[in-house]
Amino acid sequence: MERRKYPLYFSYPAVAVFLIFFIAPTLFGVYYSFTDWNINADSVKFIGFDNYAALFQEPRLGKALSNTLIFAAAVTVLQNVIGFVLALVMNESIRMRNFFRMVFFMPYVIAPIVIGYVFRAIYHPEHGIVNTILEGVGLGFMAQDWLNDPKWALFSIILTDLWKVSGFTMVIYLAGLQFIPKDLLESAAIDGANYWHRLKNIILPLVASSTTVNILLSLIGSMKVFEMVMVLTDGGPGYTTEVFYTYIRSTFSMGQMGYSTAINLVLFALVTLVGLPVLAALKKREVEM
Amino acid sequence: MRQGGKKLALHLFVLLGALVILIPFYMILVNSFKGVRESALFGMGLPSEWLFSNYEKVFEQGNILRGFKNSFLLAGLTVFCVNLFASMAAFVIQRRDDRLMRGLYLTFIIGLIVPVSIVPTIRLMDILGVKGTYFSMVMYYTAVLLPFSVFLLVGFMKQIPRELDEAAQIEGAGFFRLYARIILPLLITVLVTVSIVVIVSVWNDFFGPFYLVTDSTKWTIVLQIFNFVSLYNTNWGVVFAFMVIVVLPVMLVYLLLQRYIIDGLTAGSVKG
Repeated sequence: MERRKYPLYFSYPAVAVFLIFFIAPTLFGVYYSFTDWNINADSVKFIGFDNYAALFQEPRLGKALSNTLIFAAAVTVLQNVIGFVLALVMNESIRMRNFFRMVFFMPYVIAPIVIGYVFRAIYHPEHGIVNTILEGVGLGFMAQDWLNDPKWALFSIILTDLWKVSGFTMVIYLAGLQFIPKDLLESAAIDGANYWHRLKNIILPLVASSTTVNILLSLIGSMKVFEMVMVLTDGGPGYTTEVFYTYIRSTFSMGQMGYSTAINLVLFALVTLVGLPVLAALKKREVEM
Repeated sequence: MRQGGKKLALHLFVLLGALVILIPFYMILVNSFKGVRESALFGMGLPSEWLFSNYEKVFEQGNILRGFKNSFLLAGLTVFCVNLFASMAAFVIQRRDDRLMRGLYLTFIIGLIVPVSIVPTIRLMDILGVKGTYFSMVMYYTAVLLPFSVFLLVGFMKQIPRELDEAAQIEGAGFFRLYARIILPLLITVLVTVSIVVIVSVWNDFFGPFYLVTDSTKWTIVLQIFNFVSLYNTNWGVVFAFMVIVVLPVMLVYLLLQRYIIDGLTAGSVKG
């Protein structure tokens, strides 16, 4: 059938909703970020770059920026390493494989806010299971006040996020691994390729499309982290775990709408700057392979 | 001998991993039956006395049923809108495959990457006169979840042969019939996946209702637990019971339909 005959109007409902409720507020946002829109003031005035000038002088933005980047980089790398290793292991003949696959994916369907509350209990300095276990195996000196110690707070949030998302990554890698023909690996082994060679030259190139999806989803997901940080530390102690969305929340609750929108736009720019080149690079590599 | 050792090590590794995942779940459950003092110790042992009163307290305090109703309603309506709009769009995007449709597809992909501008969204709802209504929430969720659903569905549409379309047209079927009678039934696995992703996202979301819903009678269950913990977090036993209640419905959906989620996610995102 001729391609042009497929009626365009099938796409109209999706386009309309997306245009009105996603693209329009995004464009509005650009305008509002140049205003003094405040919940306590009657009128909204255009103030040019004042919000941005004030924002870039605040050390808090720098903290939100560096924490978001550290968090995103750590989670993206570790999530993919853990997910890939789990997938490799699960791809062997493991008994009750479907049961384990179900268990590993389970945290992904739990509300981040609930996960935050449980891990507050798990990290509790006196009664939490982490410190209890450390003391139990004679490593009591390693026990920390995980969420209130500036040295450990961000690290603890990263671990919590990994607990949630690694199973998802594993499932996507597992799917990629199942497309690799078994005899290809066997004949490579017969030709004398050791495990590392097979991993590097056969397995990794052939799971490239899983890698693309995983890296992209974890990168953009982790830059937008909010609920988990809010519940675990709310950006504290001090601003040591501040990320963009906790920062936006606190300026929002002070009624500074224009200012909040400006912060949101900085995040928007950041995600676009990081996300689009990564997408392009991964797509290019996938085609070449 | 060496093979056996390797196999044992792999099984131990998987078992250990599963324990790390399951322990927090066990902790929520077991502590939800403990009294004030015992639950505050976050112990892993069984309760010295099994208390069901924590659950009663949750139901007494929280207007739980209203929260449930709101969460169900929002999830249900969003499932309907997202499935319908995304599948219709994916159908013409993949079949036409011209410059316009590629542009549209790319727009949705970019929408998958960039963050929502939440504060201006509040303003928009205000201007449209729908602020705080169910309609505004359903539209917000539909807009946010469309990109991922279109992405999955377009990936899957590629596997449906065009010959089917031609056969349908020779038999005189119009495009609506073709879409409703032939395409939709073949997309069912992905549509189930999309539905589960939508249900889980809407049910678990705090961000949207926190900003967009001011009226406490329209609070979802997640907003209620947040408010509850902020006010009564001295009794962890009750908080744990509340967590069980929030987690249980999505857990059931997941356990019943997990095959579909995993198959659909992988088919749509890896092949596509």
